Amino acid sequence: MSTLSRADIDVSSNGIARAAGGARVDLVLVTEMVERGAKVLDVGCGDGELLRLLSETRDVDGRGIELSREGVNECVAKGLAVIQGDADTDLSNYPDDAFDYVILSQTLQATRQPRIVLEHMLRIGRHAIVSFPNFGHWQVRLQLLFAGHMPRTDMLPFSWYDTPNIHHCTIKDFRQLCTAVGVRMEKAVALNAWGSPLRLAAPWWFWNLFGEQAVFLLSRRD
Amino acid sequence: MGTTGPSSTDFKTGKPWGLGFPVITIRDMVRAQAMLLDHLGIESLFTVAGGSMGGMQVLQWAASYPDRVFSALPIACATRHSAQNIAFHEVGRQAIMADPEWRGGRYLLENTNPRRGLAVARMGAHITYLSDAALHRKFGRKFQDRANPTFSFDADFEVESYLRHQGISFVERFDANSYLYLTRAMDYFDLAADHDGILAKAFHRTPARFCVISFTSDWLFPTSESRAIVQALNAASARVSFAEIVTDKGHDAFLLDEPELFAIVRGFLDGAGKARGLGSES
Repeated sequence: MSTLSRADIDVSSNGIARAAGGARVDLVLVTEMVERGAKVLDVGCGDGELLRLLSETRDVDGRGIELSREGVNECVAKGLAVIQGDADTDLSNYPDDAFDYVILSQTLQATRQPRIVLEHMLRIGRHAIVSFPNFGHWQVRLQLLFAGHMPRTDMLPFSWYDTPNIHHCTIKDFRQLCTAVGVRMEKAVALNAWGSPLRLAAPWWFWNLFGEQAVFLLSRRD
Repeated sequence: MGTTGPSSTDFKTGKPWGLGFPVITIRDMVRAQAMLLDHLGIESLFTVAGGSMGGMQVLQWAASYPDRVFSALPIACATRHSAQNIAFHEVGRQAIMADPEWRGGRYLLENTNPRRGLAVARMGAHITYLSDAALHRKFGRKFQDRANPTFSFDADFEVESYLRHQGISFVERFDANSYLYLTRAMDYFDLAADHDGILAKAFHRTPARFCVISFTSDWLFPTSESRAIVQALNAASARVSFAEIVTDKGHDAFLLDEPELFAIVRGFLDGAGKARGLGSES
């Protein structure tokens, strides 16, 4: 992965999972990867926090898709351009190159077909930004190894029987998917359990063990 | 009742148009509105909003005059009238035409009025505006002003009495021939058909911001119809919001006090106002 630079992103969070403005650090990281004035689709946009952040700090033309009706109606009432829809079925309705960035924030693990979703994202958008909880984090590994139950952490608070997350992956797994799909990894950031970015010089195995979540900026391989 | 209709006077004969009035379409209505705006010197509209047939007009506005529509709010509508909806309309029209007082549409000349036919048409249509759940909640099987059924054809049930009232009061404010023409205009509406069968072409490069709204219990214009609008707008890369509101009030919900509808419309209009550089009132 010589083309990949693990981004040096300045989040002065000092171990706090929220950045100065009060926004979630992972959302701030995503925001930093988006060019000003870009056209953005946020897949699984929840209550619209990222879209709001993007329009306030990056002046983007933002759109969203959200599965839950409550989330959608909340977003629309905030004046955001959001529709009710499913990442697994509705991305095929969008034409090629409709967006500069297609973002999947903390949603990859909840899709039925992560690979197809990723392929659609890079068909619809020139870039894709994916953030996800790292299932290779040491806490997750230790819980399964020693406690012998499905891991529950701050990032993964659900019981196995009522979780929306059906396709967990590690940072290593995700990199392999990117290789398989043939996308270019432009930037990557891993955050530790306190929301601070891991040292850039650290090797991938270190990221995979100590990164609680990761954010990847991807683009099409031309 | 609109502007000019079958009860207006034909300037050539000095008599009401009746069925001599040409059948009009949703596109004709929108063209007439645009001509009025031309006359008033209004170049573009901040928002075009409407429900049901009004929603069809909203979609037609966006398709016919994309540069004159800044934002569009189609509520509880569709890009084409479904076979089931055409069927309901036909029942209503047949009820009017079966009334001997209709006189082949010449009732104004002959000083009659097809009240019963129009009332029956309205009763049938009114059922389609509600929902099974709402009818059950409002009326159930309750009797009207009586403890026991009369075993006759009186309006024993509350729901019957309600429908009869709806039919009778409608006659006071609506012209029967206008009912024929308006239902026909909706039947002929098919936005995709005007664009080589591809709905997305109707919205090609539209600069407008859209907010599409549907209601869970609306079976006249179900959410699937709104979804088709949204898909076409996405395919056209339009800026679109879409919300489905949970209610048991059926199609009529867009006319009623639905706080979530108001919150969504307010949010959409505020956002559009900011984008247009207008100050917010609040």
